[in-house]
Amino acid sequence: MFPNRAAVEGVGDAAQLAEIKGRSLWADARTRFFRNKAAVVSLIMLGLIGAFALFGQFFAQYDKGFVDFSLIGSNANKGVPSIENGHYFGTDSNGRDLYARVVQGTGISLMVGIVGAMVAVIVGTLYGATAGYFGGRIDGAMMRIVDVLMSIPFMFVLILMLVIFGRSIFMLFLGIGLISWLDMARIARGQTLTIKNKEFVEVAVATGVRPIKIILRHIVPNLLGIVIVYATLLVPSMIIFESFISFLGLGVQEPNTSLGALINEGARTMQFGYYWQIAYPLFFFVVTIFAFFFVGDGLRDALDPKDR
Amino acid sequence: MFSFVIRRLAVAIPTLLVLVIISFILMYAAPGGPFNSERPLPPEVLANIEAKYGLDQPFWAQIANYVWGVVTSFDFGPSFQYKDRSVNDIIAQGFPVTLTYGFWSFVVAVTVGVSLGVAAAIRQNSWLDYLAVGISVGAQVLPNFVMAPILVLTFTLWLGWLPGGGWNGGQWQNLVMPVIALSTSYMASIARITRSSMLEVLNTNFIRTARAKGLPMRRVIWRHAMKPAMLPVLSYLGPAFVGMITGSVVIDVFFSTGGIGQFFVNSAFNRDYSVIMGITILVGALTIFFNLVVDVLYAWIDPKIRY
Repeated sequence: MFPNRAAVEGVGDAAQLAEIKGRSLWADARTRFFRNKAAVVSLIMLGLIGAFALFGQFFAQYDKGFVDFSLIGSNANKGVPSIENGHYFGTDSNGRDLYARVVQGTGISLMVGIVGAMVAVIVGTLYGATAGYFGGRIDGAMMRIVDVLMSIPFMFVLILMLVIFGRSIFMLFLGIGLISWLDMARIARGQTLTIKNKEFVEVAVATGVRPIKIILRHIVPNLLGIVIVYATLLVPSMIIFESFISFLGLGVQEPNTSLGALINEGARTMQFGYYWQIAYPLFFFVVTIFAFFFVGDGLRDALDPKDR
Repeated sequence: MFSFVIRRLAVAIPTLLVLVIISFILMYAAPGGPFNSERPLPPEVLANIEAKYGLDQPFWAQIANYVWGVVTSFDFGPSFQYKDRSVNDIIAQGFPVTLTYGFWSFVVAVTVGVSLGVAAAIRQNSWLDYLAVGISVGAQVLPNFVMAPILVLTFTLWLGWLPGGGWNGGQWQNLVMPVIALSTSYMASIARITRSSMLEVLNTNFIRTARAKGLPMRRVIWRHAMKPAMLPVLSYLGPAFVGMITGSVVIDVFFSTGGIGQFFVNSAFNRDYSVIMGITILVGALTIFFNLVVDVLYAWIDPKIRY
């Protein structure tokens, strides 16, 4: 996506420096990552957004559940964003402070994204590594299951589940967890297939280490680089996924909110001219997704330079 | 080739059955029946209604009936909410709409995406390339539910050019915004994939040979480079299809186009299980069928694949 000149130079520099003193792969990757300006800027943005979600509530003048009755009925002129009355981002259509709501929504969206990615990392990596390590029939059967699951449009099944078992954050996490690990399992399996024929694994097998221990101690650590890259790229797609469901009103329920739910509320009232109600959630959504994509991209260049 | 198709079908059909069974079990496990309302019905009435819908039968009889109905006659049963219509009626009403703008979105995503990607690859590092890459990076973060409000803000509320929703029998004015909203992020991905695979193909030996023979660039691209460069795009079409069909739910809800997505979400709020299941299974079948077609096409185009 970006000219990989920086990455190429990084490799060249690393080769020169390697003669002087040894450097670990991780240090190399770090150097390469920090050469990528877009990724570094995005990382800083992510830090700011994270801080906003964590500590933004302390700067809010109003509680997120507080309904400002003095604004009811005149949202269009009194609910506009203003520093004076303390509604920095204005109010939502129910008279609640939009700043506090956006802080809350950003936090929940980030949480969903990170939990989804973590489920993917843990389940997907172990599943893929197991399938790849054992190979043969076991591999065939395990990956066939993944193929079958992948060809099911999960959004519909998840909505079915949300309807049947009630709309709750827990169900949302469960549904996202069910879907997110599939891609990761494929990637982890592919990598495992190349790793398992390396000498150190053969030595481990020859010395009688149990398969579970080989997978956990010798294979999984070597998958870490690529897993981190895909996890970073998975977070934004999980956020998009959650926002999609919340946009339909089926995801996070009141009084909780997420960026998708806020965009939905804003989209409903924008025809009345309350543009701030959609602008702020949309801004935070787009910036978050952008930042994650760029950081993921930078990490991929840094950790996996040949895969371009 | 024939045996390859048969083998793929042998995987596709069980997948579909698994989907049907999973959704039926989910529905069966639901706490509270579809006729449990705020004001409880008298038990005799409830028993009558449940007998009418076959809900008084044991689990195995119900699931066998349902699967049999779906498999033999595509009969998804009656709707629990709209008492006058069956699920098939609802699908027949909404599906053509979804199909229409879905088809156009797909066409737009593929043609615009591929042309943008090829143009960027041919003129690498020119302003055109940067523009194409910029567009595809920007559009990546604009999923349908973000695009839709932005489009309405611009074209309906600000410029007043297009109607903000409705279907109106599929007039082009009503089609423009749904199609753009649905196709943008996939267009971006297709452009990116096309660009990188085209760049890779253009650096191969056979392209250099073709150019050394003095073939005009146009012919090199069309005759030699296009086919191998399209393979990664082709394998992306499966996920793109799933994404679009899922995205159609947002389009239907936001633009009130009246496709199956709208019924799906309404039924989700009304706990109208049979409609949700019917649509889930229909969409699942479509997806599986489409993936099958993509796989077969892939095997047909790529000589390296043995089947």
